[in-house]
Formats: sequence, C-alpha cells, structure tokens
Amino acid sequence: MIQLENVTKVLSGRTILSNLSVTIEEGETLVLLGRSGTGKSVTLRHIVGLMQPDSGRVEVLGKSLTETSTDQLAAVRSQVGYLFQDGALLNWLSIAENVALPLLETHKLAKSEVDQRVKDALREVELDQHGDKLPGEISGGMRKRAGLARALVSHPKIVLHDEPTSGLDPISSSIINKLVNRLKTTGITQVLVTHDMNSAFEVADRIALLHEGQIHALENVDDFRDSADPAVRQFLEGQISGPLSRGLLDGSSND
Amino acid sequence: MTGWIEALGHFLGRSAETTGYGLVLLCRTILNLPHLFTRRRMRDCLNLIFTYTLGSFTVTAVVALFTGMILALNGGDSLASLGQENLIGRIVAISMIREMGPFMTALILTASLGSGIAAEIGTMKVSEEIDALEIMSISPVKFLVLPRLIALTLVTPVMTIFAAFIGILGASIVAANNFGVTWIAFSNDALENLQLGDVHIGLIKSVVFGITIATVGSTQGLLTRGGATGVGEAARRAVVITFLLVIILGYYLSWWYLS
Ligand SMILES: Nc1ncnc2c1ncn2[C@@H]1O[C@H](COP(=O)(O)OP(=O)(O)OP(=O)(O)O)[C@@H](O)[C@H]1O
Ligand SMILES: [Mg+2]
Repeated sequence: MIQLENVTKVLSGRTILSNLSVTIEEGETLVLLGRSGTGKSVTLRHIVGLMQPDSGRVEVLGKSLTETSTDQLAAVRSQVGYLFQDGALLNWLSIAENVALPLLETHKLAKSEVDQRVKDALREVELDQHGDKLPGEISGGMRKRAGLARALVSHPKIVLHDEPTSGLDPISSSIINKLVNRLKTTGITQVLVTHDMNSAFEVADRIALLHEGQIHALENVDDFRDSADPAVRQFLEGQISGPLSRGLLDGSSND
Repeated sequence: MTGWIEALGHFLGRSAETTGYGLVLLCRTILNLPHLFTRRRMRDCLNLIFTYTLGSFTVTAVVALFTGMILALNGGDSLASLGQENLIGRIVAISMIREMGPFMTALILTASLGSGIAAEIGTMKVSEEIDALEIMSISPVKFLVLPRLIALTLVTPVMTIFAAFIGILGASIVAANNFGVTWIAFSNDALENLQLGDVHIGLIKSVVFGITIATVGSTQGLLTRGGATGVGEAARRAVVITFLLVIILGYYLSWWYLS
C-alpha cells in the first residue's frame, strides 16, 4: 500500500532520512514515534509527494511517486487525506467551506451531495454546530478536528495524521482516537505521527520508532510495549540519557 | 574579504532565482487564465476587486488630491513669474495622466496591497496551507495567484484614473484660489493639450504596474520560509522590489512612448 525503500533526504545540509525503508500494509494503522526533529513530518511529506527523496523510492497505492507525472501524482493524492499539525485551514473560509473545498475544487459533485458529505464529516469530528464559524473563531483543537474532517470528506483510502492529538484536551483526544479506530474498521490505511503514548497504544496496529533517519524499531503494540531495545525503553520511559540522546541532545525542531 | 564576495555571489544567485521564479509564475498564471471563467474563480476575483478598491480608495484620494495641489502650487508659482499661469491646466493634466497618476497609484497599491498579498500568501506558506492545497490537487497558481493578478490588473488602472481625476481636481482648486485661473480656463487648457496618447500610455503603465505588484507579491509570498519573521521579510521584500521595478519599468515605458 505504502512503501518507502532506502529513502534518503538531506535538508539544509543535514541528513534527515538515511536509507529509510518501511512498508505499510493495506488497512493497517501504523504509529510513527520519534523525538522532535527526527523527520516524522518529513516522512509523511514523502508519502504524498510534497517532498521527493534524494535517493530511494516511494510507492503509494502501487504507483511510484519518485518518477511520476503531475496527473499521476494528483491521482494518488486524491486517495490520500492529510491532517496537518495545525490544521492548515484557509482563514477566509468558514469551517464548512474549508471542509467542502476539496469536493468543490476537484470533484464534480452535485451541491446536495457536497452538503451531505460536509455535514457527515463535521458530525464525525463533532463540529456540526460550528460549520459557520471562521477558523480564527474556534480553538486550536477544533481547527485540528476541522482539518481532519477536510481530510476525510473526499473518502480517501489512506489518511496521514501529523500529531492529531497534540495540544488537545483529553476529551478531544478521545474523540480523535475513537475516530481513528472507527476508520480502521472501514479498511482505511493510516499513518499517525504522535507524541501521545496513550493515543499510540490505543489506535496502533504496529508502532515504529524513527531514530537517526531510520526505522529503528517496528513492532506490534504489545511487543513494542515490552521491547527490551534500549532506545525503545528510553522513549517509553522518557529517560534523559540513552541511545536517543546521541547527537540530538538539543532536540531542536522547526515546528 | 572572501566572505564579502561570497555574500555578494549568494545575493546575486538568489536574485536570479527569484526573478526566474517570478517570471515562470507569471507565465503559469497566464496559462491558467481559462480557469478564471468558472463561477468560483469569478466570485473570488470580484471579492478581491471589491476589497482592494475599498482598501485603497481613501488613501489614494488623499494622496492624489494633495499631489495635484502641490503640482499646481509649484507649477503655478514658476509660471506666474513668467505671466503664464494660464498654462497650469495642461501641465498638471499631462503630468498627472502620463506620469504621476500611474506612478503614485502604483506606490500606494504596492504598499497597501502588494505587501498584503505577500504577507497573506507567505502566512499560508508557513502554516502549511499551500501544502494542504497541493495535496488536495488545488493549484495555488489557479486558486490564489490568478484571482489576485486579475483583480490588481483591473483595480490599478481604475484607481489610476481616479487618482488622476482627483489630482487634477485638486490642482484646479489651487489654480482658481491662488492664481486666479478660472475652472473653465483650466479645463479648456487641459483638454485642448491633452492627447489620447497620454491617456493610453498612462493606462498601459498602470496595467503593467498592476501585473508587477501582483506578481512580485505572490512570488515573495510563495517563496516565504521560516515562520513569522519570514512573512515580515517577504512583505518587506515585495515592497522594495516592486518599488524598484515600477520606477525602472515606468522610465522605459515613458522613453518608449516619447520616442
Ligand atoms: N523544508 C525544510 N527545509 C529545511 N529543513 C527542514 C525542512 N523541513 C524540515 N526540516 C528539518 O528536518 C528536520 C525534521 O523535521 P520534521 O518536521 O520532520 O520533524 P518531526 O519529527 O516532525 O518533529 P516534531 O515532532 O517536532 O514535529 C528538522 O530538523 C527540520 O528543521
Ligand atoms: Mg512534525
């Protein structure tokens, strides 16, 4: 379904991904963990062709994104929903208009169909009361949920979530987790980047730990929780010193 | 020493890159022109025309009024010493329509709208909204740049005509009050000496300026990186670059017209 093969990416002179390989199966929900600035968002960006690898291959839905035409890329993207870290809503459109945007701009759907789909998507993220508001008038957590509604409205086969629950109160987080789990039952493939361990254990089929530009560990939930790998243990227990601290002590990040 | 040369090289390389990007962006926008004729793009475009006009109306009027009055005051003063104050009309009208109107309007629109476009698109860039558009297969060129370019290409000439009109009006008030040139004499002198070519070149300039403002603003916006500082920097750069281009293009268009 999603395949990254020996992906290497250098940004501003720093190797962010180095020979990273991972395969995500159809219908699977993979959680991607890692310290800030290790390249989790960069990895997601490769999966939708927002970034091209310096070397290596990215294949999504059976199509290579590395040597592809714009049309083919558009075809793949139309099957992918992407939740950005901050929602990335257009601030001059209402929440409902934002959610309707992909349908109105690229799909040829009847207005009633669009309205129905927008209503359903907003209900799914429990924002049906707030469709008329502008992004500036709602909280950050609500914006994030609206971003998720927009990602879901075109019925994608793959959903990529970049920190869906960061900055959310526990109840909003539960709404998101519940939704991710509900999407799982419909057979959607999901990749979820998060720092929220509760959420990771609640939704994941498998968990991957990104470290030094590679998938350091990739296990199913129970094995990951009980892993003896020192890096995994350090991450789970939040210890300050350990293999994950090497060369990354500042933990610096741009976002 | 080498650091200095390196910095210069870096600057030149960057400028060339930005210029190339801007020209490609302009071409891509023009190629996207057919997309304008959809209901949604038309609506965006009309909204922008409305916002842009409303947003620059007052300041243009005030600046134009005083520019006209200053022109009349200075021109009138010199002409009066030669006993030729009845020539005020033509001098003010020609300079307002050919040069000052387009130039002044371009500067005002650059400062108010060009910087705004850079900041708006720049903010969208740093908050990943542009990326979101691309993932939804909505081209930022079609969706953002095209309506802005069209709106500014239409608003700039309209505001220029308006500015020239208000400027001439201001000049005629000064002419009547300070130099005793009646309104009739003023407008007769203006109309008799004004040629259609003057109006044409004024309009051509304003269209070129409008395209420049929108293209530079969009280019700087789309090239923004690095958070809020980056957005401020993009807006600043958009204003500086557009000012320079307006002056340079204005000169060459005048030169072309007069030769
Ligand atoms: N467009 C870019 N240009 C240059 N450097 C970049 C770019 N995007 C990301 N980086 C750098 O790549 C590194 C990884 O960034 P990324 O956003 O993937 O981190 P992350 O793992 O998602 O971190 P966080 O958990 O804080 O979101 C960072 O050091 C960042 O500065
Ligand atoms: Mg990130």
